[in-house]
Amino acid sequence: MLSTRDLVAGYDERTVLDGLDLDLPTDAFTVIVGPNACGKSTLLRAMARLLTPRRGAVLLDGTAIRDLPTRDVARRLGVLPQSPLVPEGITVADLVGRGRQPYQRWWRQWSTEDGRAVDTAMARADVAGLADRPVDSLSGGQRQRVWIAMALAQDTEALLLDEPTTFLDLAHQVEVLDLLRSLRAERGRTVVAVLHDLNQAARYADHLVAMRAGRLVAAGPPREILTADMVREVFGLDCVVVPCPVSGAPLVIPALTETPPAATPAARPTTDDAESPRVGTYPKGL
Amino acid sequence: MTALRPAGAPPTGDDPRTTAPAGRTLLRVGPAVVPLRRRPVLVAAVLLGLLAGAVVLSLSLGRPYVAPLDVLRALSGAGTPYDLVVLELRLPRAVLAALAGAAFGVAGTLIQSVARNPLASPDVIGVTQGAGLAATVALTTGAAAVLVAPAALLGGLLAAALVFALGARHGLAAQRFVLAGVALAFAFRASTEVVMLAADPIDGLRAQLWLIGTLAGKGWSEAAWIGATLAVLLPVLAWAGWALRSTTLDDDTARGVGVRPVARRIGLAGTGVLVAAMATAQVGAVDFVALVAPQVARRLVRAERPPLVCAALLGALLLVLADLAARRLLAPTQLPAGVLTAAIGGPYLMVLLLRGRRRAR
Repeated sequence: MLSTRDLVAGYDERTVLDGLDLDLPTDAFTVIVGPNACGKSTLLRAMARLLTPRRGAVLLDGTAIRDLPTRDVARRLGVLPQSPLVPEGITVADLVGRGRQPYQRWWRQWSTEDGRAVDTAMARADVAGLADRPVDSLSGGQRQRVWIAMALAQDTEALLLDEPTTFLDLAHQVEVLDLLRSLRAERGRTVVAVLHDLNQAARYADHLVAMRAGRLVAAGPPREILTADMVREVFGLDCVVVPCPVSGAPLVIPALTETPPAATPAARPTTDDAESPRVGTYPKGL
Repeated sequence: MTALRPAGAPPTGDDPRTTAPAGRTLLRVGPAVVPLRRRPVLVAAVLLGLLAGAVVLSLSLGRPYVAPLDVLRALSGAGTPYDLVVLELRLPRAVLAALAGAAFGVAGTLIQSVARNPLASPDVIGVTQGAGLAATVALTTGAAAVLVAPAALLGGLLAAALVFALGARHGLAAQRFVLAGVALAFAFRASTEVVMLAADPIDGLRAQLWLIGTLAGKGWSEAAWIGATLAVLLPVLAWAGWALRSTTLDDDTARGVGVRPVARRIGLAGTGVLVAAMATAQVGAVDFVALVAPQVARRLVRAERPPLVCAALLGALLLVLADLAARRLLAPTQLPAGVLTAAIGGPYLMVLLLRGRRRAR
């Protein structure tokens, strides 16, 4: 199980998370939501050890991941960063094979297990048919599934994804979310994703974590915690929450605003660098 | 669908039924398993053949001319009238050219991969210039001749340490590292000019010749230093050949699969610098081999990064041919090999720059 204790993290001078305690349920799809710059990506990056906490710890089954060799962590916890860079000209099968890195050594660069895991991961993410194609020739949706396949080939019990649906059209967003939810369903796996779309979060998440300004506002099943009050507190947005006619999950409908909403400037922080898409490093061709 | 292996179970690498990943063949040596793409193996074989041919050619051409068959006979130890010319005059220099070229190819591959920049070879980021400055100081201050190579080695390593220190912020990020190196290279070159102008003209001329890089008058002892360095580093280079893979991933993705990118960059670039400084100390500033060999090898094998073995072979081939041409083009006048490599490398560098600019647009 993945949890954080008194987690303090940030960038340079700025503290983004200030003492966060969080337990993420096993065998569930957890979605982290919150306004821009609320620290949700920072939290995910800290949990994936891409960012070193200033204080506190991220615990994997009770052990601080900082105390574990990074290779061991990589066998138990996979991560898909927000906009990973595609190596020039690499094929799908090769990139998915990179997920086997934590199981390989320079003298033993391939094993039966590696082959099996790569095949399984490609089949699972539905990219087996693209195995020999160069990744930079694929569409955004295909490319995202390839990255997910790489994380799956890593064969970890926990999988963290930073905004896996950004830059995808609606159909591809649904495709990726269906895949993520099915992952935890078929093989007890902790899947954690940061998402921007509250309604998608409500529909797909088993466990919803709502953050604002580096603090935890609410955590629990969407049907229990997603209310108009919570949305107002987290996003500073007046809304109506109704059951979705298709899935029955809570559906957030923003209230009509004829004049700009009054007196909520504090609740709408501006976008900052930490959370805006890394345009500069985003793979070309998208 | 096959069930995935439970986490924590030991991976099985010695299963003889292991099938290779797509498009590869598994090479097994004892417990080692290495998947190889066919194309790099083919390219390496062809390069090896060409290298052998180039070495025979360089042993054969010259005054006196020795027929290739006689060269082979002399090499096999049959005892021919040409033994002196082939084995004692020409062979040491050809072996030195091959080893130094291979060393430059290896160094260029390591540093370019770490910097993710085809321009970031040791002769661009200041290692060569640092070695040049130290050698110039040694040559113009009347230090003993045996001290020139150690001084150059030290100069190259110190220069690299400075580049690392300046580029170290943000975990040796590629761009910063290259810029620091290019800036320092200019500074070293300018200092070298000053030292040379201030020195006795004869010493200045010797320094000039050293800076261009020449194999004339060099042989077994220089080759032995480079060969020993490569031999000692062989396990490190074997590791590097594998570890280079992760340099094409961004840092977050690399960390996610259990790589410590900064530590790995330091290890790889440090190895490259050591090899480059050692080779430069022995043969002087032979420019452009380290720059050109990795990039041409990469295009030959069509990989996403320069291949270590093929780049080494190509570097060896380039320098053997360059030295042969340097010996023969204006015979009996000997050109420094560095002039020839620069003549090939300069235009190639311009092509790279132009192409890079077009892509950046």
